[in-house]
Amino acid sequence: MKASNVWVIVPVFNEADVVADVIRRVQAQGYQVVCVDDGSTDSSAQVARMAGASLVVHPANLGQGAAIQTGIDFALGRGADLVCTFDADGQHDAGDLPILVAALASQRADFALGSRFLGNAIDLPPAREALLRAAIAFTRLTTGLKVTDTHNGVRAMTRRAAACIHLRHNRMAHASEILTQIRRSRLRMVEVPVTIRYTEYSLRKGQRSSSAIRVLADLAAGLMRS
Amino acid sequence: MIAQFLLSALLLAMLAYALVAARRTRVLAALIGLAAMAGLYFVWSPQSANQLAHAVGIGRGADLVFYIWVVLSMLVALNLHLRLKAQSELATQLARALALLEARGNNDRESD
Repeated sequence: MKASNVWVIVPVFNEADVVADVIRRVQAQGYQVVCVDDGSTDSSAQVARMAGASLVVHPANLGQGAAIQTGIDFALGRGADLVCTFDADGQHDAGDLPILVAALASQRADFALGSRFLGNAIDLPPAREALLRAAIAFTRLTTGLKVTDTHNGVRAMTRRAAACIHLRHNRMAHASEILTQIRRSRLRMVEVPVTIRYTEYSLRKGQRSSSAIRVLADLAAGLMRS
Repeated sequence: MIAQFLLSALLLAMLAYALVAARRTRVLAALIGLAAMAGLYFVWSPQSANQLAHAVGIGRGADLVFYIWVVLSMLVALNLHLRLKAQSELATQLARALALLEARGNNDRESD
């Protein structure tokens, strides 16, 4: 399989300061990059295009889950063999992507999920770690999957697995929804150690602790709806 | 008597709402319908309301009817929330289709 048939989805919302560097680091692995600009009010879209990424622009801010689903649809439409997701805020290590991609083949998996708790979480604030640990316990309880991490933006999936994903949660609850759909579709999932480096920028841009309540409310509403 | 008619009219309206909503959310519509019918029964049979209220540890039948009304209002609010979510999903699908169409057009122009 050629690296150029691997598409990496980078959802972008007001990341003009860092997105070009992120795109270059992913492209250095030989992969195709599609940035889904989620209604940014800064110059993120122009910066992403100048950096050489394919660009899909949402007409309004819909949320990261919506952006990832748009990226999946785009990548599948372009004939991707493998699809990855990667956050735009610069906290991930692009060098982890080939490890995730290799894990799909070597472990015959449909999904390879990055785990910061199997790898490294550099400068992870204690409060954020406590919240993540609680989210992992909740995810294990509700999905039955023995995951060691959740809400980690680095993932790789086969074309078949990507076609099984239909995200309805537009915002942050999509991370739990992906796990639920992996279980429902009986996809084979493996976890791979990855590194996340927390910076002042990524902490400012990332989820707040109060987001957890919103995620829970979204998941509960999703259950009522189904 | 005026209050009974007024409450009955409101509860009948709620029952009609439950029937309309049944096409979209059956469980919620059933809950709203049941609560509305219970409310109607208690409005016209206050003695039963008193007896049931005493049985479940609520002081007066009037309070029981009030609580049922509160539950009804919450269920209707929940139903509206779910409808808004459904509308939001439609808007997302439209926005996505538009974005992908535009991206395809841009890519075609760049490859020409």
